[in-house]
Parts: sequence; structure tokens; C-alpha cells
Amino acid sequence: MSDTEPVFIGIGEQPSGRYPNRPFMGDLVRVGVAAVKDAGLTMTDIDTILLIPCLHSPADQADLVFSRIVEELGLNKKVKCQYMVHSGGSTSDNTIRTAAGLIDSGHAKNVLVLQAEKWGSAPVTEMIDMLTANGIPREWEKQSGVSFNAVGALIQQRYMFESGSTPADMASVCVALRDWANLNPNAMYKDKKLTVEQVLGSKMITDPIRAFECPMLADGACALVLTSRGNARKLGKDRVVRLAGEGGCVSHYSIGQEREVGKLGWEIAAPAAYEAAGWGPEDVDIAEIYDSYAAVLTSGLEGLGLAPKGEAARMFARGEFSPGGRLPVNTNGGLLSAGHTGVGGGTALLTEGVRQLLGRAGPERQVEGATRAALGGSGGTYMDSQVLLLEGVSA
Amino acid sequence: MTSSNDAGMDALTEPYRDALRRGEFVVQHCKACDRQIMYPRHLCPFCYADDLDFVAAPTSGILHSFAVHRVGSPTGFEDQLPYAVGIVKLPGDVQFLARLHPDAEGDWGQYTLDGEVVFRGADADEMTARPVPWFGLPA
Repeated sequence: MSDTEPVFIGIGEQPSGRYPNRPFMGDLVRVGVAAVKDAGLTMTDIDTILLIPCLHSPADQADLVFSRIVEELGLNKKVKCQYMVHSGGSTSDNTIRTAAGLIDSGHAKNVLVLQAEKWGSAPVTEMIDMLTANGIPREWEKQSGVSFNAVGALIQQRYMFESGSTPADMASVCVALRDWANLNPNAMYKDKKLTVEQVLGSKMITDPIRAFECPMLADGACALVLTSRGNARKLGKDRVVRLAGEGGCVSHYSIGQEREVGKLGWEIAAPAAYEAAGWGPEDVDIAEIYDSYAAVLTSGLEGLGLAPKGEAARMFARGEFSPGGRLPVNTNGGLLSAGHTGVGGGTALLTEGVRQLLGRAGPERQVEGATRAALGGSGGTYMDSQVLLLEGVSA
Repeated sequence: MTSSNDAGMDALTEPYRDALRRGEFVVQHCKACDRQIMYPRHLCPFCYADDLDFVAAPTSGILHSFAVHRVGSPTGFEDQLPYAVGIVKLPGDVQFLARLHPDAEGDWGQYTLDGEVVFRGADADEMTARPVPWFGLPA
């Protein structure tokens, strides 16, 4: 592999949940400092900062765009550029594409990726109404009253119809993620158990989705550091994580225009990623795939070839994706149990994937020998299906 | 929330909404390539011509998926609960999000995916206030 190849060398994360007394900018600074330290760099080594947006506040968003974080980190006149990448829930995937291109081309040496969100502490009604304006066309669909939960429900209804999955199968997806979250000290639901009976006994919100199948809005923050493989070697890094392959598909803007709501764009996105990696679904050790609703995850697992068509939910029901199962899936607990941190939900999955491949997930959660990870991200009304394949290697 | 995109949008939105207010359903049509277009666009997304009009749509379609709001709704829809939305596919390869009438039982349990649904407007006040296509089960 070439010296210019981009690699991940550090991560930082703040616990997800409701933390009203944790200021937004404070979270960003703390995860940034943690990631740079984890990478073995000093802050002034960072020459490029890529920002993942927040959705809770236009004012905080403006602070991000206009480089407040550079000042907060003491990097005035030290940083070459800082800017935001934004595609909703798939932003982390597109940010990594951007970072990788900058490093490989020599435009950047050390890139710090930063994300923070305060969804858990923001007024819920305001956040839900804002979501209703994200990816739902105001001219054609808003008048139908479609909610964001309904967008997930449309996907889940079709997925269940095509696969013959039962409500209990779908509930078991949420339970498996909760079992993972119980192993993650940074998860919103680290202490709360969940059973299929509890899910099925919870209130119907938007058929076929029940209350415990809806993601809980959360505060959270993540950071990642990338550099070139040559630089990682000079730093004396033992193990790094490389981007082995990527692929993507933008399938629609409005959910009313998705031709196959039970499948989305995963099958179109995945083949290019595997081809670039030179390995296939059978070689994947862990998967970290967007899971704001169960069927988004099951369609992703199937589209990525990690489960036979129509079988993913039943495989969850058999425990195949749970701790100790055949293929660990969403080992941080996912959006459904670690917390839905807005655009950050995908960033948390990415951070967890890198953490696992660096071997730093701790004794309870670390997947032994995890070398290859499949990541899936999606934004808006599941407008896109983004696939990143990561590989842990020695520098 | 409005956007700069709202200004001048009447040419696209009004023929569509006027038809709905009259209890009719139209879709956009490109005179250059003779294809139907949903949702209405500024230029034909197939051939990029700007010679577009609206034509009567088939009144029978297939239900691709649906969701029933029971608890929680966007602001302004609280008094509508429970209510359902569905993705309807029509011959001519157009599809869109529609409201679904309750079935004979007053719920939505009789709807089946890939089953037939037919266009049937809601009452005039509703169609005026919120002009969207409404579909129901065949009589």
C-alpha cells in the first residue's frame, strides 16, 4: 500500500443520552482533544478540520460554519481549512470520502473530523417538526401529514410484507441492539434491558412501528483523526484502519418516489465497495449499519450481502447478530439503543467500527480478531445508501 | 417554513391542486417525450424539455406501502389522528404519497400491499385545505 493512503489513527466520544448541562461547543472541544490525544498527535499537527453538522440549532450550526471551533481549539492561523460536509445521516460516510481524498491527494496531512448534537436536550416538538421538513417535499407531501416515524413505518411495512417477517422478528432487532448497548458505557440505554415482549407490549405509534421501536433523540459527540499511512508509520503506529472500499447510491429525495421502499439503494451501492476491497460479505467480521428503524438495518444487511434476501430479521430473532452471535452488528447499540444523535448516529457507528478495528472496544464489547468492518449509512428519508468497508492493518 | 423556491411555484402547484380541489387527479406530462411525471418538475426529468402540461391520471393503482399514524403527528394534524398515508403506483410509471380512506371497519386492516386502490377525493373542505390525492379500497 502507498504511503499516501488515508488511515484512521484516533477516535474520541462523549456518552450519548440527555445531558442538558453539557454545552455543545464543550462537547466538540472535548471529543476533539480526546481524538487527537488518542491519535498520538498534538493539536497543532491538525491542518484540516471537517465538520459534521448539528440539527438542534441554527445558531450552533452557524458557529460551526464560521470556524468557532478553530478558535476554541487554539488553532488560529494554524489550520489550513475547516468546512462542513452535509448529507444528513450519511454525512459521516461522505466526510470520510472527503478526508480520504484530501489526504491521498496531499491537500491535507492530518484531518480532524468533529461532530456534536444536542437533540436529547432540545424541545422534542420543535425537533420533530423540523424532521418533518427534512426530505419531505413541502409542495407535494407535507399536506398528507406524513411524519418521520411514518417514513420508517412505510419502509418497515414493505420489508415485512416482502420477507414475511413477523412483529416479533422486527422487535428482536431492537432487543439485539439493546443487548449491545448494555455493553457500551457511552450508550443512552447502557443500563436498561429490553425484551421482545416489552417491545410488542408498547404503544402502537405508527403502524407497524411501536413506541420501543422508535429511536430516542439524544445528545452525543464523536471525533476521528485521519492521516496518511506513511505518516502513521513515522508516528510509530502499530495498528491503523484503512478504507478498503466504498460505494454509494442516491435513490430518491422524497419517500413517495422510492421505487422499492423495502430495499432502498443498498444493492446498488455495495458491489463497487466489495470490488475495490478485494473481499466479500463472507469476509466481514463486524457490521455497523444505520438503524433509525429496524427495517432500515435489515434491508441494509441484506443489500450488503450479510444476510440472505428476506432473512435478516429472522436471523436477529435467532440471536445471530447479538453479542456472541455469528456476526456482531451495531456493536455500540446503534441509533435505536445508543441514541439517535441526529446526523451523529452514523458518526457513532463509524467511530465504533474504527474502535473495534483498532482493538479498543474494551473487554466486554471487543469482537475478538475483528479485522474487517462493513459500514452502512443513510440520510434524509433514506435518500441514499452509503457503504464503507474498513480494514484494520499494521501501519 | 417557506423557501425562496416557493416564489413562482404556482405554475407547478396550482394546476395540480386545482384539480384536486375539483375532486380530480392529474399528473404532469411531457409533450416532447410523452411521459408522465410525478412529482411535477420544472423541466422534464427524462428529456429536459420545458413543454409540460397536466393530464388526467388513471384512477386505479397499486398500494406499495402504507403507515397509520396513531400517536403523534406533525403540528396541525393532531385532529386527524388516526390517519394513514400510502405510496401509490399508477400505470405510466408514476408514484406518489397519498392519504388513505379508512376501510369499511373504520381502520386500515383491509388494505394489502400490492393490492388495488382507487382515487376518491375527500370532502371539499379537506381537499381545499390540504390538496393531496386520497385513495381508498375499490367499492
